[in-house]
Amino acid sequence: MRATRRLTVAAIAATAALSLSACLASPGQSGEETDGADDPIVIGVSLPLTGDFAEPGKGVQRGYEAWAAHTNENGGLLGRQVELVIVDDQSNADRVASDYERLINQDGVDLVFGPFSTRLVVPAAQVAQDYGFLFVEPAGAAAEVFTQGFDNLFYAAPAIADDHYNHLADDILALPEDEQPKSIAVASMDDPFAMGTAYGLRDKLAEAGIEVVVDEVYPPNTTDFSGIAAKIADSEAELLIVGSQYQDGVNLVVALQQQGYQPQMAAISGAPTNAEFPAAIGDKTEGILAPTGYTTTAPYPSNEEFVEAYTAEHGTPPAEDEANAWTTGQVVAAAVEAVGCADPTPECQGQLIDWLHENEVETVVGTLGWDAEGRPQSAHLIQQYVDGEIKIVLPEDVKEADLIHPKPEW
Amino acid sequence: MTGALFAQSLVLGILLGGLYALLAAGLTLYFGVMRVVMIAHSAFLILAAYLAWYFHERTGIDPLLSLVITVPLFFVVGYGMQRFLVSRLRPISLTTMSVLLTFAIALTIEGLLGFVWTGTQRRVQLDYSGTSIEVAGVSIAVVKLIAFGLAAVSLGALYLILRKTSFGRALRATTQHPEAARLVGIDTDRVAGLGFGLGLATAAVGGTALSLDYTIYPSLHWHWIGPLMAIIVVGGLGSIPGAAIAALLLGVAASLLQVPLGTTWAQTVFYLALFVTLMIRPQGFFGGRLAQRF
Repeated sequence: MRATRRLTVAAIAATAALSLSACLASPGQSGEETDGADDPIVIGVSLPLTGDFAEPGKGVQRGYEAWAAHTNENGGLLGRQVELVIVDDQSNADRVASDYERLINQDGVDLVFGPFSTRLVVPAAQVAQDYGFLFVEPAGAAAEVFTQGFDNLFYAAPAIADDHYNHLADDILALPEDEQPKSIAVASMDDPFAMGTAYGLRDKLAEAGIEVVVDEVYPPNTTDFSGIAAKIADSEAELLIVGSQYQDGVNLVVALQQQGYQPQMAAISGAPTNAEFPAAIGDKTEGILAPTGYTTTAPYPSNEEFVEAYTAEHGTPPAEDEANAWTTGQVVAAAVEAVGCADPTPECQGQLIDWLHENEVETVVGTLGWDAEGRPQSAHLIQQYVDGEIKIVLPEDVKEADLIHPKPEW
Repeated sequence: MTGALFAQSLVLGILLGGLYALLAAGLTLYFGVMRVVMIAHSAFLILAAYLAWYFHERTGIDPLLSLVITVPLFFVVGYGMQRFLVSRLRPISLTTMSVLLTFAIALTIEGLLGFVWTGTQRRVQLDYSGTSIEVAGVSIAVVKLIAFGLAAVSLGALYLILRKTSFGRALRATTQHPEAARLVGIDTDRVAGLGFGLGLATAAVGGTALSLDYTIYPSLHWHWIGPLMAIIVVGGLGSIPGAAIAALLLGVAASLLQVPLGTTWAQTVFYLALFVTLMIRPQGFFGGRLAQRF
């Protein structure tokens, strides 16, 4: 008897809570639909502004803000100004989901942009999918992002993680037998993006018969890298592959230098393309290779405009995170302009999604097109530190310098 | 595991353990003197590392010299913190409430670091960052050696202060039995404040040592506080030699286990040691009478 009553009370309470939240949610949504043309288009984003991914998260934030400012200066979208609502998910995957839930449900945003990093993109995309929202994201490149059954997701960069190193893998395998590295040491952060990039190269080379002698994974909160460095140094592997984010890459490189390890080739994703990297490592960067989805010198039409606008605002040229954020803006803007709507209704969001599935978009990282799961259909540029500056060395047709091999001592 | 790799990992473990020892010593000192669980200890550590970095950035002088400023500064801050914040907590719930208070302080420091210097990850770039000394096939990084040296000297100084000075005797008396200490005329409030200052001064030394070899960012302190808390429980709460020994042993264990198990599992050694300690010897392995009472 008592149990039944308790159940009834719980049911009533739940119903009340649900109707309350529906009431709270509705004004925002209906408001956007009825009054209209002069209201800003509100775009909701959750980003890791603190915590483990704060550094790249802030880069993405700068990119989004620069894009919004530039768009507004040039007449906005569909003649309406755009307004960003950015919240901090503290690099927390639980939090990012509730953030998007709140942005869509309570704040009634018209569009959403994706967060940084695969770990946060997957839960966020799930929420967007549940509400039928278009989800273009700047930084979720690991294979698993595209195997969750999302049909609303588009990755706004040239290639997924596994394909980042494709140009380098081809180049290594094209070397004469005696110049090819004979052993590989791999160390990667336990992060789908970092691992995807590093393992893409590892697997392609291992398949061709090059031996993997060290294969280490470390958690994102690792601060001491001397142990991993000791293992790698002990193996004397000729090719070093590191899948890093930022601080881990820097700390590992310094730890390897401290232990006198000298690889013939060092391919490090993540850290080296960060503007802070040379300042942190000093003059020991020469010959380090890194894949990049973006460089300020890439000869694409809108890139010059982007670099100019960004540099004017910030005083420094943009990096990859900023560029991918800007690209996200470009992709969504292209869809919005083509379809002619920007509101949270399933009809509009559905049209935006359909348009992107069928069309290509000109962006600062080249022309992007996607497969049904949202994988972009290109490959990354390979950069190398040459004479203290990071330059494109692969592929041949866009290179700024010749690839140095073997790598000078660090 | 080859012999060379074993030797290298052993040396790395000892060097890391030395730094852990210094940091854990400060943490256990607060608990000994005040029964305070100081969550913000590692936040002050990162603050000191930021100050060292900023000092180097501004002046170009070796960050080690920032110690001249940060050690006295942290001592004063620690004294003030004890007198004006911690001592205001009600004695009956001091230990639990101190967790909340110092947690808030840790969050405040983290927030201020992010506000002042942004979330950008910082690193002190020195000519000798990547330099090492080769001894019998083992590479010893100069920066790690300096950090270890700093830790050893500070621990030695701390030991001498506690053993050889009248303040040290008063501090130990306060630790062992506050009421009795008051009866023999020790101003336990003042002693506790000075003890807190001393603990925070070790964070200044540790932070400076840390800045030499680590990339720092505001939330880094959360990665340090867990292992440090485990170390002081294993060593016996309040026991400085216990904390130092436990730190060295666990540092070496983590470093050696990293070779066969990988980084992810090697990190769990601190918590495994904590669980084992709580199960079979809750007062800690090196703790004295104080630890047994808690």
